[in-house]
Amino acid sequence: MINVAACNGCLTCALACAAAHSPSRDIVGAMADHTPPRIFIQAVRERAVPVTCRHCEEPACVEACMTGAMQKDPVSGLVSNEGHEQKCVGCWMCIMACPYGAVTAHPTERIAVKCDGCPHLDQPACVSACPNGALSWEEPDRFAARKGRRTAAALLEERAG
Amino acid sequence: MDSTTRIRKEEEIMSNCAGCDQKDGCVSVHASINEMHGRTREMGVDTVFDRYQRQQPQCGFGMQGVCCQLCSHGPCRITAKAPCGICGAGADTIVARNLLRLAVHGAAAYAHHLEELAKTIKATAAGKTPFGIGDEQKLRQIAGVVGLDAAAPAPELAGQLADVLLSELRKGSDEPLALVRLFAPPTRLAAWEKLDVIPGGVLSEIRDALTKSMSNIDTDPVDLLLTAVRLSIATGYMGLVATVTAQDILLGTPALTKSGADLGVIDPATVNIVAHGHVPLMATAVLQAAQKPEMTALAKAAGAAGIKVYGSMCTGQELMQRSATSAGGFAGQLGNWIAQELYVATGAVELVMMDMNCSIPGLKTVADRFHTRLVSVDRIVRMAGVDDHVDYDPEKVAEQAVGLVKMAIDNFRNRGKNVHVPQCKSAAVAGFSVESILGALGGSLDPLLDAVRKGTIKGIAAVVGCTNNRNGHDFKSVAITRELIKKDVLVINAGCCSSATQAEGLMTPEAADQAGEGLRSVCRALGIPPALNFGSCVDIGRIGVAVTAIAGALGVDPSALPVAASAPEYLEQKAVADGIFAVAFGLLTHLGPVPPVTGSPLITSILTRDVEGLTGGRVLVEEDPVKAADAMYAHIMAKRSALGI
Repeated sequence: MINVAACNGCLTCALACAAAHSPSRDIVGAMADHTPPRIFIQAVRERAVPVTCRHCEEPACVEACMTGAMQKDPVSGLVSNEGHEQKCVGCWMCIMACPYGAVTAHPTERIAVKCDGCPHLDQPACVSACPNGALSWEEPDRFAARKGRRTAAALLEERAG
Repeated sequence: MDSTTRIRKEEEIMSNCAGCDQKDGCVSVHASINEMHGRTREMGVDTVFDRYQRQQPQCGFGMQGVCCQLCSHGPCRITAKAPCGICGAGADTIVARNLLRLAVHGAAAYAHHLEELAKTIKATAAGKTPFGIGDEQKLRQIAGVVGLDAAAPAPELAGQLADVLLSELRKGSDEPLALVRLFAPPTRLAAWEKLDVIPGGVLSEIRDALTKSMSNIDTDPVDLLLTAVRLSIATGYMGLVATVTAQDILLGTPALTKSGADLGVIDPATVNIVAHGHVPLMATAVLQAAQKPEMTALAKAAGAAGIKVYGSMCTGQELMQRSATSAGGFAGQLGNWIAQELYVATGAVELVMMDMNCSIPGLKTVADRFHTRLVSVDRIVRMAGVDDHVDYDPEKVAEQAVGLVKMAIDNFRNRGKNVHVPQCKSAAVAGFSVESILGALGGSLDPLLDAVRKGTIKGIAAVVGCTNNRNGHDFKSVAITRELIKKDVLVINAGCCSSATQAEGLMTPEAADQAGEGLRSVCRALGIPPALNFGSCVDIGRIGVAVTAIAGALGVDPSALPVAASAPEYLEQKAVADGIFAVAFGLLTHLGPVPPVTGSPLITSILTRDVEGLTGGRVLVEEDPVKAADAMYAHIMAKRSALGI
């Protein structure tokens, strides 16, 4: 989940993402081996906006994938084109289909790259790394409940003030 | 351009200029630059505009000044969960230390400029340069003030004055600068003494400030700020006032003159040399050499109609304002810092001479797409890929200049067919200085002061400093100048802001039509533009001299005057030192881009509020040019009513 207002465009998430997906597992190594990040900070009118995979309920990328490499895990709900029997061939259909621009082409290999939710970690590296609390990894209901409580508190304060 | 490129371009533009909905590819307030930007995009030539887009988004910690990279524990940054760096330094310390380090860079660059000048005056006094004494009256006057025998022969006196400047630069930080004592208004000295910020020798102050801003030495944010103030006062009186004065003594005090500005001044038929940077010494020698008949003959033999020397940035302004004295034959000003890659992209520039600062590394990439030769003409300027160095040497400059002109002529043969020069150009009046204003007013400031007293002119605003792409090129400096003159505030421009308003025609007497009724009548009576060109960014010192003279004539402190300063597009470190000096001098100082201090509530509140109680000046941060002009006007009106006028 993304709290756009809290993002200040520091790109720590992108660096942490690249590190988590680099064989070296660290930022300097990731920069050296050009591991691409899977989360993107878009600049819109001088504001920074994080964009990454939403792991949709009905993923357009899965729908579009011609080899069946892109799949949604029925248990975790994560959408990924890695670790399955079918291989990604780099046809870029998923890139065309994704409504968020969250899937990109690997800079050197013919393979699509997207957020895999860091299955090897407790929570995605970007979320742990964000110094501003702009990213969180939780069920939509919990996110909504938290946001709801914040709104309620703000309403109360408004009334009191 | 294919449709994908066009869409990409629109998207990029949209993400660039906050508060502007134009999608027509406009990146600059100047039609010439927009036209050239279109050409560079078509040609696939990267410029500052394209690189700016690729840097977005920029890190918020750096923008707020709370990133510290001094030690190997770092980088540390201040966040909600980490209010201190690993060493324990909080946001206030980190911000203040970063700000001081910026100011140190500015002070050092100004010191280099002054030192080159003092050495040139010494060599000139010994008869070893092509220069002469350009303003003997000023030499004798200043020599008298600093305690030299003003009746001594001019060359000897000039040598002695240069020695005084060098010793002032180099003396200890515990020996107060004589120039501050001699030239600052007494009320300012009192305010600065109270704060213990009267500086000593500039180089020693730089050493102290650099030492203090090392990790774990001075970690008190308030003391770090006071150090920046002290350093900036040293910069103000040495880097600015002394440099301007020494340049006048050597090259002549600016006198009113007419010139031209914008890319349209480029003549595609001639060998074209651009003088770019800040230190006009090599440039003046090259301008003189280019006019020798044997050089013209060489150029004609190479197939050109002649040789022209143009200006870029502050070196250009220095030449322009002295084109009635030492810089006769100057062919016009091309533009400011952002324009450098764009004029090279005309394909009609044979040689760019890069002196002390502001030559961007990207210039080489653009030059490589054309035949343009880049030459560094200062021993401290080096650029990857540039192998031509003609490092300025006062005793050899005459032959160095001839060599540079020949280099340009040789290169004319390599000029390609792909030449495009925009047709935009504007006339410009230049050469305003305290002396030339006094001359125009009949020897006394009274007519100007009377106009201010009566309210025909509400006040004076200095709109000065750099150019910056943060809100599109030159939009803010031109908008603020236009807003202020509409409100009957006389504007003084210097630095890259001069090139900005020049190209838009605001430095012509006809621009009085755009001014409010009062200012318009004064401009018409005197035949002056509503925006006066005070020259280069070093000439901010000239504005300091003017404000001191006005304060003296009225018998008040500078902070009581209906004046304000603005650096609407400040960019680099010299501007940081200038800005802090303006605040120390007692002026309301508007900054366009938000300086990297907002991560510290303490430093932000000191600079924007509390410092006013100490120096009378303060920083005003406002990104909207109209609102900024309104706030400056309100400040001017408040000062008027406090003075009872």
